[in-house]
Amino acid sequence: MTADAFLFWFLALITIGGASLVILMKNPIYSALALVFTMCGIAALFVTLDAFFVAGVQIIVYAGAVMVLFVMVLMLFDLKHEVEAFSKGRITGAIKLATAGLLAGLVMGAIFYSSTAVDTVITKQLAAASGDPSKQLGMRLFTQHIFAFEALGILLLVVAVGAVALARSKGGTHHDQR
Amino acid sequence: MGQDILEITINSVKLILIFLMMVQAVPILVWLERRGSAFIQNRFGPNRVGPLGLVQLLADAVKFLTKEDFAPDKAVRSLFYAAPVFALIPATLAYAAIPMSTPISIAAFEAFGSTWGPYLFRVQGYEIGVGIVFILGVSSLAAYTILMAGWGSGSKFSLLGALRASAQVISYELALGLSIVGVIMMYGTFNLSEMIQAQQGPFQFSAFGYTIASTVDWIPNWGIFYQPIGFILFFAAAFAESNRLPFDLAEGEAELVAGFHTEYGGFKMLMFFIGEYGHMMIAAGLATTFFFGGYGIPGITAQELQQVIVGWGYADQTANILNAVLHFLMYNVKFAIFLWIFIHVRWTLPRFRYDQLMDLGWKTMLPWALANTILTAIVIYVVAA
Amino acid sequence: MTSAATSMPIGGIIFLAIFIAIFGTGLIFLARAIGGQRKNNSAAKRDVYECGIPGQEKKESKVSVKFYLTAILFILFDIEIIFMYPWAISFRDFISSGMGTPVLISMGVFVAVFIYGLWWEVKSRALEWD
Repeated sequence: MTADAFLFWFLALITIGGASLVILMKNPIYSALALVFTMCGIAALFVTLDAFFVAGVQIIVYAGAVMVLFVMVLMLFDLKHEVEAFSKGRITGAIKLATAGLLAGLVMGAIFYSSTAVDTVITKQLAAASGDPSKQLGMRLFTQHIFAFEALGILLLVVAVGAVALARSKGGTHHDQR
Repeated sequence: MGQDILEITINSVKLILIFLMMVQAVPILVWLERRGSAFIQNRFGPNRVGPLGLVQLLADAVKFLTKEDFAPDKAVRSLFYAAPVFALIPATLAYAAIPMSTPISIAAFEAFGSTWGPYLFRVQGYEIGVGIVFILGVSSLAAYTILMAGWGSGSKFSLLGALRASAQVISYELALGLSIVGVIMMYGTFNLSEMIQAQQGPFQFSAFGYTIASTVDWIPNWGIFYQPIGFILFFAAAFAESNRLPFDLAEGEAELVAGFHTEYGGFKMLMFFIGEYGHMMIAAGLATTFFFGGYGIPGITAQELQQVIVGWGYADQTANILNAVLHFLMYNVKFAIFLWIFIHVRWTLPRFRYDQLMDLGWKTMLPWALANTILTAIVIYVVAA
Repeated sequence: MTSAATSMPIGGIIFLAIFIAIFGTGLIFLARAIGGQRKNNSAAKRDVYECGIPGQEKKESKVSVKFYLTAILFILFDIEIIFMYPWAISFRDFISSGMGTPVLISMGVFVAVFIYGLWWEVKSRALEWD
């Protein structure tokens, strides 16, 4: 086994291990921390694909921002009741089964689709590409995907407005003086 | 990590050495901080144990080791013990990516019946193409240490301190990330070594098709001359990121006892200290790299210095190593100056109030960083046209 | 060794992380072994910190929604800033390839949306702390 193959299998193993811990842990905080670990593993997998900038972004945005919010929220709420509500009863069992089935189908579908549709094209493009991949990302982003980029700016604005509105709606801590 | 067993071994030893260097720098910084604060406040500071109180560090370490290992009953033990260990990881991983000197190239040589090399050893843990992105990402993981410690202690003071500290850290991460967009734009790279390369030599830039250069040699081509606002914002945000005064709200003694490490003592406390000083070192190293030419020596480029040393009668190989040593010393001088500024500021400025802190981060530094970005973009665009 | 722009020694990073984890755990155990346990093990000692009175509140007390709001806004602005990075790194290349104007304008639109968002947050007092 070459070093690269070993690295891939090692990273894949710890990523999947982390992801399994997310669903196997009873305490949601441990689940969230395991998810952080999984995110870091995915970032490492991006590195093995030579997608360095994406790997960095994966860590900054997912592990460093989104999961901080999750962990923060989980640590501040007493989730015991919610945990009990979700771990007992026939209906929750059915929901769990349905979710697991859906997810399994999704993953299988993605694997089948990607194995047939993507591989030949991608490898050719990668072979043709040269130079700094981060710069190529910038070039690509501002030529082909410029509309998506601007739309993303608007989307983020809408989300920010929505978050503020939600935080205020049930009293929140705003003393609205107007 | 390398092609053969020798390179892998040396790279591994190098990584471990960098980690140990960070760990052993902490007692020195603590000593400096205590002596420095005493100097500023017109006191003596520790001066009993050894000359100038230097052995105080050793005494402190022994004292920390012999403290009882203690966890409160309400603590979640796994997180309570894991947090100090994790405090070390982000800081060291990020610091190892900062280049500290010119690379040392070793020509191929014969040993043990086979040919080894040629090698190129960098005086840094690892060279990373997207250096800045990596450092920002890894150091943003430090928020988990704080949250784990705060929640794991099972104390409301710890939890509140952790909450405030993490909210502060993430708020200032925005200003920090935005303040270096101008730097990235100027150098057109994420790589720290390339940035240092761009800052070698005398002050010189091209505008409107003309080349403008300084008439004297000793004014270096440092980033501070192009990005003064960026530097101020970066440095201020770095104080907040490393939880130092005037931004050490997490540890405001009067309100929160000691913040997220209220329940910690002995060696675990020391490990949090190492993490905090580690973030300070990252900030100092990055400020040096972005704005003060990294390991570059003003007035002379790395190649010129190499020629000078060869002119003294050394072989190329030896000259290369000497060159790296000289640049390493230069890096450490700049690094130490920044660390001293960190300490000096701590004993000079009073602490902010929490709302002032958040206002400063969101309403002052973020808009200024945006303005700096826009200004840099427009200037680069106009000047290049 | 590959060129500087395309290298990221993941093996070294993982090695260092694992080394520190082992080293740190070792230090904790060392401190535990040397420090030992004292005889006094009363309930007051094992309790969490409180200023001399028995602990009153539960750990899970209510916390201002402001902290969550700050975290959410941080995520959003962080993503916007991350999107500026590929722009910043390739801006000079765009100028030299004659595409500086459209890229500057498109980034200007993005930044304008960013500034409007920030201005709106300030105006709606979402960033006020009291």
